[in-house]
Amino acid sequence: MQNRYSRRDFLHAAGALGGSTAAFRAAMALGLLPVAAHAQRPELGTLKKPKKVLVLGAGISGLTAAYELSRKGYEVQVLEASFRAGGRNMTVRNGDRIDETGFPQVCNFDKDPDLFFNCGPARIPGHHQELLKYCQELDVELAPFINDNRNAWVQDDAMFGGKPVRAREYFNDSRGFIAELMAKSMKKEDLTGPMTAADWEQLREYLRQFGELDPQFRYIGTARSGLAKHDYTFPDQLKKPLSPSELLKSRFMFIMSFGETDDQAAMMMEPVGGMDRVVAGFMRKVGHLVQLESQVQKIQVGSRGAEVTYRRNGEYVKAKADYVLNCIPMHLLAGIEHNFPKEYVAGFTAIPRGRLFKIGLQMKERFWEREGIYGGISWTLQDIQQIWYPAHGIHRKKGVVLAAYTFDQAAGEKFGRLSPAERIKLAVEQGSKIHPDYGQYVETGVTVAWHQMNHMLGCAAQWDEALWKQWFKTLQTPIGSHYLMGDQVSYHPGWQEGAIASAHHAMADIDARERAAGTVAA
Amino acid sequence: MKRLKTICTGIALALVVGSASAGNDFDYCLLCHGANANGNYGIRAPKLSGMEPWYLARQLENFAIGARGAAAEDGSGHEMRPVGLRLKTEGTLDDAVQFIGKLESKRPAPTVNGDVAHGRELYKNCVSCHGAKGEGNASLNSPALASRSDWYLVTQLVNFQKGLRGVDERDTYGAQMRAIVATLPDDKAITDVVAYINTLK
Repeated sequence: MQNRYSRRDFLHAAGALGGSTAAFRAAMALGLLPVAAHAQRPELGTLKKPKKVLVLGAGISGLTAAYELSRKGYEVQVLEASFRAGGRNMTVRNGDRIDETGFPQVCNFDKDPDLFFNCGPARIPGHHQELLKYCQELDVELAPFINDNRNAWVQDDAMFGGKPVRAREYFNDSRGFIAELMAKSMKKEDLTGPMTAADWEQLREYLRQFGELDPQFRYIGTARSGLAKHDYTFPDQLKKPLSPSELLKSRFMFIMSFGETDDQAAMMMEPVGGMDRVVAGFMRKVGHLVQLESQVQKIQVGSRGAEVTYRRNGEYVKAKADYVLNCIPMHLLAGIEHNFPKEYVAGFTAIPRGRLFKIGLQMKERFWEREGIYGGISWTLQDIQQIWYPAHGIHRKKGVVLAAYTFDQAAGEKFGRLSPAERIKLAVEQGSKIHPDYGQYVETGVTVAWHQMNHMLGCAAQWDEALWKQWFKTLQTPIGSHYLMGDQVSYHPGWQEGAIASAHHAMADIDARERAAGTVAA
Repeated sequence: MKRLKTICTGIALALVVGSASAGNDFDYCLLCHGANANGNYGIRAPKLSGMEPWYLARQLENFAIGARGAAAEDGSGHEMRPVGLRLKTEGTLDDAVQFIGKLESKRPAPTVNGDVAHGRELYKNCVSCHGAKGEGNASLNSPALASRSDWYLVTQLVNFQKGLRGVDERDTYGAQMRAIVATLPDDKAITDVVAYINTLK
């Protein structure tokens, strides 16, 4: 299993979650990205006479558009196929329904404000300014989110006989050894270019500080890896460094910089009480415009406006609009009757759907806090890939841990094939390699296979550089008055900021059209 | 590990069962299988409308009992399996079949290109069961092949060939099909015969 995870796979997975800065830069160079003004919230002009807008899907992009346009003289209706708004922004608590095809579940967590599980997005980086501005505007209270925690564990069957090591040991002992190796093998004469004695010393010193080497440039351990014990009535005693040959056996190197990537490094935030507080915030403003359980069956784009047919209570209903903002997942769109141009269809059927998978388990005790872990992620190269510890509700009795979050398509599919009970059983077995008594704390759980969740059937859109280059512009460009939206039409799929960017881009275009037509009040 | 198992069975886990009798719930079928269940290539969900009710019922039953869609490599079959299981458990399998029967069947646009002349030759082996016009034969339990999602026919022929379908002993008719698929020796033969089926009306 360890061998199936290549660096390329990981980058691809990380890209699906966002953080694909290389792809982003490549796209920028190709001129595929919207101009900066579009990425930010557009200053929409107020219409003199209302225009009808149909938004298909009440996820983050759809709600953003409904919120903005409804304030500027657009008459907005949002059609949502599911029984709930929010799309993949989904938090479950006691009694909530998990609408999975074939395996519907109900969340049995205790009724408690800290016992919830973010099934979709769960963290907001500080540079996701558009989302953060909406949080502020919609009174969504935020708290710090702990993502990277050096006290958490790293486990890989390939190293140390599968015994977990503290993240700080893995990181700092491997750095120490690499620094020592470089210091010992680096020769001044091998370096090209002019290098003064001071430069050379500076470089050596950098290595010493990088790995915390001793005066002889040996790595003999560091307090960065943690102390052998924290008894402060005794002098500090360093841990014995981990064996470099064991450390090098692991493929964790592909994941180790996760917490340093653009979207994953501190400072990150989460809404207090669950990510769906963002949805609740939007719904307070535009909830009256959202019609649930309305599944779109047909879209006919005309020379002016468009007509949408949807099913509600077993009946077909027609609706006409000047603009259609379509947030339906592309892979589902292909099954809807439409009159889109061939190119467009070829584009949205070319993007594969992702298979992200998560499990949330209610634990009867916060046993991880007794191990010195407060928030953050333990990593494993098993199918479950991650265990997250809640940063909220510290020192309370119970907590909900994320017991699996796999970026690996094959692992996501594997979990999807199992029944919810079997998924939890597998997650408990694998989690027990990190926390030996793991299973005894489990009270109840929820499992979310996004590729099998009704009205979604995928997360996130699996763009890659070739697909971006070939299709992005085609899919971003409106067909008449029909715009494709959602994180799927952004260079940041899998992130709410990407969804918002797509909505801003579409609205900026609509605004430009209206201004050109002179329909905007001066 | 024994202790682990005891713990796991003790975990409270609720599945929603029942209350799917309202016609509205079958709208979920359209989510994957598209408007009027005319198929969605984007998600590899085949066209269902126009399928014989007895064939649909049998396949749903096969999914439910694990006689179809159980092989790990059959990704789409795996996604369908719990749906069949749920319909059977809830006793709504026949209602689902009825729901599909009321939908407006539309001839799918062809997506498979092949050598039609060669396909016509190969199709001679199919005629006795599926009919000269691909109209099917209920008395032989052979479904119609005309006006199906062509890419789905290819997938299923490949599945029969690879032993992902028609290997479970409870799937008698699938086993018959698996035997006859031997007359299609390679991928080209499969696309050719499907290209010919595309011409049948």
